[in-house]
Amino acid sequence: MKVSGVYKMLLVKLALRNLTRHKRRVIAIAIILAIGIAVYLTLDSLMLGLTQMSFDNLINLETGHLQVVKQKYWPEREDLELENLIVWESKLSEKIKNQQTVKAVVPQLKFAAKLNNGIDELPITGYGLDIDQAAQVFQLKKYIVAGSYFTDSNYQAILGKKLADLMELKVGDYLTLLVKTAEETFNTIDAEIVALVNTQNPKVNSNYVYVPLNIAQNALDVDNKISQVIVRLKYEEEVEETIKQLKKQTIMQEKELAVHSWRDSAESVIAMSKAQNIETGFMMGIILIIAAIGIVNTVILSALERTKEIGMMKALGFKKKEIILIFMIEAAGIGVLGGIIGLLLSGVGVYYLTTVGINLSALLGEQTFGLPVIGHLYGIYAPWHFGFIFISGIILSVLASIPPAYWAAKKDPVKAIRS
Amino acid sequence: MNNILVRLILGLMLVVALSLSGTEIIAAPSAAEIMEQVDEYQHLQSAKIESKMIITKGPRKMVKEMTSYIKGADYGLTKFTNPRDRGSKFLKRENNLWMFFPDAEDIVKISGHMLEQGMMGSDFSYQDLMESTKLADLYQFTIIGEEKVDGRSCYVIEGIKEEGKEASYYRRKEWVDKERFVLWREELYARSGRLLKELQTKKVEQLEGRWYPMYQIIDNKLKKNSQTVYEIKKIEFDLELPANTFSLQRLR
Repeated sequence: MKVSGVYKMLLVKLALRNLTRHKRRVIAIAIILAIGIAVYLTLDSLMLGLTQMSFDNLINLETGHLQVVKQKYWPEREDLELENLIVWESKLSEKIKNQQTVKAVVPQLKFAAKLNNGIDELPITGYGLDIDQAAQVFQLKKYIVAGSYFTDSNYQAILGKKLADLMELKVGDYLTLLVKTAEETFNTIDAEIVALVNTQNPKVNSNYVYVPLNIAQNALDVDNKISQVIVRLKYEEEVEETIKQLKKQTIMQEKELAVHSWRDSAESVIAMSKAQNIETGFMMGIILIIAAIGIVNTVILSALERTKEIGMMKALGFKKKEIILIFMIEAAGIGVLGGIIGLLLSGVGVYYLTTVGINLSALLGEQTFGLPVIGHLYGIYAPWHFGFIFISGIILSVLASIPPAYWAAKKDPVKAIRS
Repeated sequence: MNNILVRLILGLMLVVALSLSGTEIIAAPSAAEIMEQVDEYQHLQSAKIESKMIITKGPRKMVKEMTSYIKGADYGLTKFTNPRDRGSKFLKRENNLWMFFPDAEDIVKISGHMLEQGMMGSDFSYQDLMESTKLADLYQFTIIGEEKVDGRSCYVIEGIKEEGKEASYYRRKEWVDKERFVLWREELYARSGRLLKELQTKKVEQLEGRWYPMYQIIDNKLKKNSQTVYEIKKIEFDLELPANTFSLQRLR
C-alpha cells in the first residue's frame, strides 16, 4: 500500500509533536550538534584564511605566479648553487613579456650568504633583483616600515625588520654579506641599508636580504646570469594557460628552460593545509559522534516512554517502516534545529574572523610556531561549506536514529500495549 | 796602449759584475719556488698530532683538545678529547667530510654551505680544512718586498688566485721566513679586497729537518673579538697508520 500525502503529513505531525514533548532533551542534543558545526566552520574559515594568506605571501613576495628556470636548476634549487643559471638577455625577456597574460617580469639571482654585522654572522638567503621591475612583481614597497625603496642600483640593501633587529642593524647602517663566487672564492658585498620590511611572510622578515641585481652578479662573478625569471600575471587563473603558451616558445627548448607555477613552490603549505583539514575534521568528528550518541539516546528514551503508544499504532495498522520513519523525522528535526543554531553560531564566528581577524603577532609574539604567515590573519567565508555541513548534520542525525528506531518498531504490539 | 789597458780593465770589471749578478739570480728563489718549499714543509706524508684550540668569541672562551691522524693532503681523522666534546670525530677523505657526534650516534656528511661554517665554533672553516691542493698550484705568487717579523727576515709574497681555479681566497699575502720557509704571518682577502682572516705564527720548531708552526693565532677580521689559537702539543711524523684508519666504520 502506498503512503498517501495526508498520511505522510500525519507521520510528520506525529514526529514534530514528539519533538516538543521533551524540549530540554531535544535542545541539549541540538546544541551539541550546533557546537560541532560551529567549531568546524569557524576553524575551517581560519584555515582557509591561513592557506590563502600563505599562497598570497608566496606569490607576492617570493615566487610570483610563475618562475622560469633552467630545467636542471629546479630539482637543486634549495641548494642555491651558482650552477645552471640563465643568461639574461633581452630576447628571452621580450618572449615572456609578449604573452598577453603577463603583467610584469623580473630577473632574479638567488644566492646563499652570511650576514655580518662586525660581531656576529648569520646564514641568510640573498636576492639580487632588478630594482625597477621587482617593484612591479613583488610587494616589498608595501611592507616597508623604515627607510625607502632602492633609489639606484648601487650598494644598497633591504632586509626584514626581524633580521635587522636580531643583528642590531638599522636604516643607514652598512651590512656585509659574505658570499662565495661560482669559483668558490669568498667575496663581500658592503651595502647601505636603505629600508626595512615587515611582511606577513616570516621567511622574508627573518631570512632574506635584497640587493640590486648588478651588485649581486658582480659579487658572485656570474656576468649577466640569473637564477630565475619571476613572472607576474594579470590574473591568477591564467597560470596554466600561460605555462602552456610559454612551453611552446622555441627559446624555452633552446635554452633548456622550464616554467613552474607558484603551486610547485607551495608544496609544504599545501601539505600543511591538508594536515590541518584532517585535524579540524577529526575535531568535528568527535563532537558529531557525541551528538550522534545523544540522538541514539533520545530515540531510545522516546521509544521506552512511548512503548504503549507504539503498540497502539501498530495495532491500528501502522507498519514497522512507518514507525521508523516517525523516529527518523524526529531525528531530522533535531538535525535541522542543531544545524540552524550551528550556522548562527558559525555566522558570528566567521563574521568576526573575516572582518576583525586575528593579530597573530600579538597572539604569538615573535614566535611563528612553524606557521608560514605572521601579522593579521583574516578568515574566509565559504558558503558552500555552510550548506554542506548543515546537510551533513541532518543526515548524521537521521542515520543515528535508524538503529534505535528499528529496535522500537519491531516490538510486538500486544506485549507493548500490556507493558 | 792606455786605451787598450782601460778597455781591458773595463772588460774585466764587466765580466766580474756579470758573474756576480749571475750568482745572485741563481741564488734568489722565485716566489713560486718559495711557496713550493712552504707547501713541501707543510705537507705531511703521515702524522699524528695532539693539539689544542682556544676559541675566543667576545667574552666566551672555549678550549678544544684533539688528536689528529693525517695521511697526505687527502686523508685526516680528528678525535676530540676534551670532556665536553669527547667522542666527536671528523673524517676527511679526499673531497668529502663527515662528522660523528656521540650524542646523536649518527654520521653526518658536511657539504654545501655547511662547509663555510667555523669548525666547532672556531675561526677555521670546514672549507679551510678541506683545501688540500698546494697553494703554488692555485695562486700566481709574486715577491712584493721583504720585512722582519718578530726579528726574522721574511719575504713578503702576494698570491692572486689563478683564473678558473677553485680557491676560497682571491688574494693572500704571506710573510715567509727566508731561511726556515714557514709562514710567520698570512693575510687572506676576499675578491672585493676586504681582509677576511689573519694568521700569525708565534712559535716554530725544527722537527726531523723541517720547521713546523707549533702555535698559531687566527683572527676573523669580519668579526670583532673573534680569535682562535691553535697549539700543537706533540707531533709524530711518518707513522705507519692501519689501512682502515680513515674508514667510515672507524668514525663511529
